[in-house]
Amino acid sequence: MTTDTFTGVNRRNLLKLTAAAGVVAGAADLLAARGAVAEEALSLKGKRIGISTAGTDHFFDLNAYNAQIEEVKRLGGEPIAVDAGRNDGKLVSQLQTLIAQKPDAIVQLLGTLTVIDPWLKKARDAGIPVFTIDVGSANSINNATSDNWGIGKDLALQLVSDIGGEGNIVVFNGFYGVTPCAIRYDQLVNVTKYFPKVKIVQPELRDVIPNTVQDAFTQITAILAKYPEKGSIKAIWSAWDIPQLGATQALVAAGRTEIKTYGVDGSPEVLQLVADAASPAAADVAQQPAELGRVAIRNVARYLAGEKLPRETYVPALLANKQNVKEISKKLGIG
Amino acid sequence: MKAFAMSVEIPSFPVPPASTSQTAGAESGYERWQTTDADPQTTRPARRSLAMLAVRAGAFAIFLGVFLIFAVTAPYFLTIGNIGNVLGQSAITGVLAIGLTLVIIAGGSNVVTGGIDLSLAANMGLSAAVYAAIIQAGYGDAVAVAGALATGLAIGAVNAAAVTLAGIVPLLVTLAVMNVVAGLELVLTQNTVIPAATDFLAALSASGPLGLPVLAYILVGFTLSVAVIVQATPLGLRLYAVGAFPEAARAAGLPVKTFIGGSFLASGLSGGIAGILSVSYLSGSTTGAGDMLLPVVVTALLGSVFSNRLIPTVTGTLLSALFVGVLINGFQLLNIPSTLVSGVQGLLILLVVSATTLLGRKEAA
Repeated sequence: MTTDTFTGVNRRNLLKLTAAAGVVAGAADLLAARGAVAEEALSLKGKRIGISTAGTDHFFDLNAYNAQIEEVKRLGGEPIAVDAGRNDGKLVSQLQTLIAQKPDAIVQLLGTLTVIDPWLKKARDAGIPVFTIDVGSANSINNATSDNWGIGKDLALQLVSDIGGEGNIVVFNGFYGVTPCAIRYDQLVNVTKYFPKVKIVQPELRDVIPNTVQDAFTQITAILAKYPEKGSIKAIWSAWDIPQLGATQALVAAGRTEIKTYGVDGSPEVLQLVADAASPAAADVAQQPAELGRVAIRNVARYLAGEKLPRETYVPALLANKQNVKEISKKLGIG
Repeated sequence: MKAFAMSVEIPSFPVPPASTSQTAGAESGYERWQTTDADPQTTRPARRSLAMLAVRAGAFAIFLGVFLIFAVTAPYFLTIGNIGNVLGQSAITGVLAIGLTLVIIAGGSNVVTGGIDLSLAANMGLSAAVYAAIIQAGYGDAVAVAGALATGLAIGAVNAAAVTLAGIVPLLVTLAVMNVVAGLELVLTQNTVIPAATDFLAALSASGPLGLPVLAYILVGFTLSVAVIVQATPLGLRLYAVGAFPEAARAAGLPVKTFIGGSFLASGLSGGIAGILSVSYLSGSTTGAGDMLLPVVVTALLGSVFSNRLIPTVTGTLLSALFVGVLINGFQLLNIPSTLVSGVQGLLILLVVSATTLLGRKEAA
């Protein structure tokens, strides 16, 4: 059987890639372990921690924000938490006021780098240690982020394995300028390189913000009209899961549920689709926003206790597929 | 001075004097004003002035009370640096709201038919985008400043032409222009952030003398110069006359349309200036300028309660901007959860406005 040979190839390559990933993960663990303060000894007693977020309107940022506040309280500190509601002017004003409040540390969650970086620098100049979540700033002592290399690799391997290492895949690549999206896309390309029968349909699609869902729906409907026979497209990939949502809806509407969709972020509505056995949504890699928040705050406590921190702390992401989605949703505290 | 006194004695401020006199015609409007006003003025002067004092003092007292409460309870509130921050953070809203105030003064304060400029926030966004794009294209700050100001003025000119030449209601004109301008910004920026970093921009967002932000000095300087023109020159007096009694003003030989058009040009220019301040504050042009619209409108409308006679004034608008700025700042310093802030803020504003309006109505009865 051809599938057997493909699974064989699949496994071998899988092994190679996971081995490499394992080395990277191991190295990260070693870095984190060096000179570590014991988890239970961590304390923020008497410390005031500024927590600033670009917004709380998405599942991701809301959970990361609330988890930070909880964690500061759990460690005995006082959180000063401000939410800019996706307004850059408000974000800068709040950072300014935060600097004037002289907290023991500031943790910035998301935000456009060029807008916030001058103010993160002013905080640093004022002697306030700055930490970030998902912001790669030179003024940050430590950035807590998901391992996007791991995310991209896991998703690509699941996809290739699901389609039996063969077939056309449609790709949304509208945000290659955003670093995490670029890493995930590059990992897809890296993986498919070893599966020559997997072809990315050209031209690639461009996902947009706003109206992401409607736009993805329209684009996929057009693609389906261009490739009408079943099997001519095996899967649809996007670097986040909102285009995946639109694509999945388009597949259902067109009755082409044999095509599978893949995305990243673990949005509750997409995880629900993955959990539905009849839905084309095959997998969604969920970041752990609450864990990111907690890790960032524990890093603050470590730093204030005199520990030296790595530049970045990676929080593993969880791949939810048809088999394990219930378990993953539970772990993320959804449903 | 006569024209000024006319406009200020209108007892129930939110009622549009401009629209009533528009239907009544110049002479009858003038007569009606004379009969409604002269009578109580002579019969109950003492009670009237006492009630008026309560109205005037009400908003100031609330502002002072809020300020004192924060000064006592909120750590770091009463430091020079923090007060400077509040001033600096209010600069962009303040400049825009003062521009809007000029339009309201000249067009009359009826929200629907009077003077309003809804394109101001979008104007700031486009002006900022033009500034950042010019810097990205490799030109210097002088060219960028000229570009931003010209953008603002051009938007003001379109508004002015549509309102005065075509005779369309400002609410509709500026709503349409707002959409066009927001669309142009999208085309120019592709809905992305355009970073801009120059020495001039860095100087604007830095701290000046006494450690106060340069933006704070700009806000105070801008307010003072506009306030002097509007509140202490014949030009300003005529602006008020045009807004409150267009027919009377026309009968007195004032070019009403020129004044109204001029107010839109001035507000357009304010949008351009605010755009420059915004580029310095946000280190470039960012998306979402439209979010500024409601805060700016609220600030300008709230400004009336911070004036002696409950009319829109430049200094009243500044106080209103600072009141909102102090609230936001104080809440953060008190560490009130961010989820509660906008609700409490809205409640306080409602309190100030309704208290002043109720007092004003009692005084008018």
